[in-house]
Amino acid sequence: MNILQMSQTLFYLIEQQPDSGKAVSYLQQQTDAFQADPKRATFYRVFTALPRFVGKQSLTVPDDMAFALERIRPGLTVTGWTMDRLSRVWWLLQLSADDETHYVQTITELFRAGEINELVALYSALPVLSYPAAWQFQATEGIRSNIGDVQSAIMLHNPYPKDEFDEAAWNQLVLKAFFTDKDVTQITGLTERKNARLAQTLADYVAERQAAGRSLPPHIEELL
Amino acid sequence: MDFLDQIRGMSFFDMHIHMVSRTTDDYQAMADAGIVAVIEPAFWMGQPRSGPDSFRDYFATLVGWERFRASQFGIRHYCTIGLNSKEANQEALAEQVMEMLPLFIYKEGVVGIGEIGFDDQTPAEEKYYRAQLDLAREAGLPVQIHTPHRDKKQGTSRSMDIALEHGLAPNMVIVDHNNEETVREVLDRGFWAGFTIYPFTKMGNERMVEVVKQYGPERIMINSAADWGISDPLAVPKTAALMKQQGISDETIRLVTFQNAVTAFAQSGQIDVDALTQPITIDQSERFNGSSVLRGGQAPRIDKTSTIIR
Repeated sequence: MNILQMSQTLFYLIEQQPDSGKAVSYLQQQTDAFQADPKRATFYRVFTALPRFVGKQSLTVPDDMAFALERIRPGLTVTGWTMDRLSRVWWLLQLSADDETHYVQTITELFRAGEINELVALYSALPVLSYPAAWQFQATEGIRSNIGDVQSAIMLHNPYPKDEFDEAAWNQLVLKAFFTDKDVTQITGLTERKNARLAQTLADYVAERQAAGRSLPPHIEELL
Repeated sequence: MDFLDQIRGMSFFDMHIHMVSRTTDDYQAMADAGIVAVIEPAFWMGQPRSGPDSFRDYFATLVGWERFRASQFGIRHYCTIGLNSKEANQEALAEQVMEMLPLFIYKEGVVGIGEIGFDDQTPAEEKYYRAQLDLAREAGLPVQIHTPHRDKKQGTSRSMDIALEHGLAPNMVIVDHNNEETVREVLDRGFWAGFTIYPFTKMGNERMVEVVKQYGPERIMINSAADWGISDPLAVPKTAALMKQQGISDETIRLVTFQNAVTAFAQSGQIDVDALTQPITIDQSERFNGSSVLRGGQAPRIDKTSTIIR
């Protein structure tokens, strides 16, 4: 993925939002300052504080923009996101990826101290971060999260797991989605990544539910 | 008569409660009693922490998992973040926690620095109390002060003196755990006065009613400080019911059990005052924008009186 192109396209989408003047000037100012003096503390402060300046409005995503994003990063969709979530993902792209260790460590710290909406943005950003393979374990931690919004950010409408997960991690995602009442049809790659082991585990799950006299989650038969 | 009947339709804001120590039964009972929002001040866990990561995980829990847990019961969860006075005495650890605080205090839903102040009134406690007052002033955040159990009156005066010395306006400081002996000075000096209804050790609610009768509702707010000790997460609605029985006006009750806390902590810019009494499910559906999945997920209700568990 071309990071510069993605960053510019996301910023263009921010500019297109109604009443985005204040947000645009804040983000522009912050990135100028950060590029001039890339202090880690500045990077963290802006990531955390930016909802105060950009707001939390739901995004309007015109078709041409959705198409452009999908072309730069196949599978990426920002439909249903809010302004702060989009701005945070854009902000992560302002961090220099020249040094892998520094890059991964800086962003990992954000995961370690994240509040709910920050974690949602961080997991949403995985498909556009550099060094995709470096985030595999962190992505599985998102699936282990107990917070509904965080689970959804990695499980649903997110192309990262489809592209990067090995079979065991993928199967865990699908199982956990069923266990946490997600709409599994929103999992990116659900059909492409069907596999025999998953089918077997889901069949066992169906039998277990039936033995307990409980209902079956929707769409589970389609994966057997 | 059930106390709930007397306060039906009222909304409450418990501005001091440690939900990490409470069960889902408590959350359900709080929601049923009209509590729509809480503030969880960072405090100690009943046992000292031995390293900075325990603090990090605790702070992250306050802005993460605990907020989600509360939302499942329709309760908005805010917090104040700070190094508590007891653990300020472990100086090497305290330094590491101080370094960590700027990472957390600007986060969404963090409505102040707290609870900070004095416990034993040692030099180390004073040092980190002062440092955190500076942090609050720089960040423009309110301060939630824990006043000491021992040598309380003098410790409360001293806490206020130091806050003023560090340039904090009294209206940005909530002095908590007041009693009959401290309240006059706190109010006279223009600070907010929190009262904790906590059995055996802090205030009882009959005494609280007398305080409100004597001082009126201005700048007074009530909380439960329910935690891992013998305490009552319904202390605020119960006290509202008692005030109602004793002929205190609905408007006064609203001020001391809801509005004053909102006014004081909304100075952080982190409380959407209009949304506060709206059901929390409304913003969940807004945020999810038409999808069939309810992202927060509302906790299903179970029948506690039934012996059958399904």
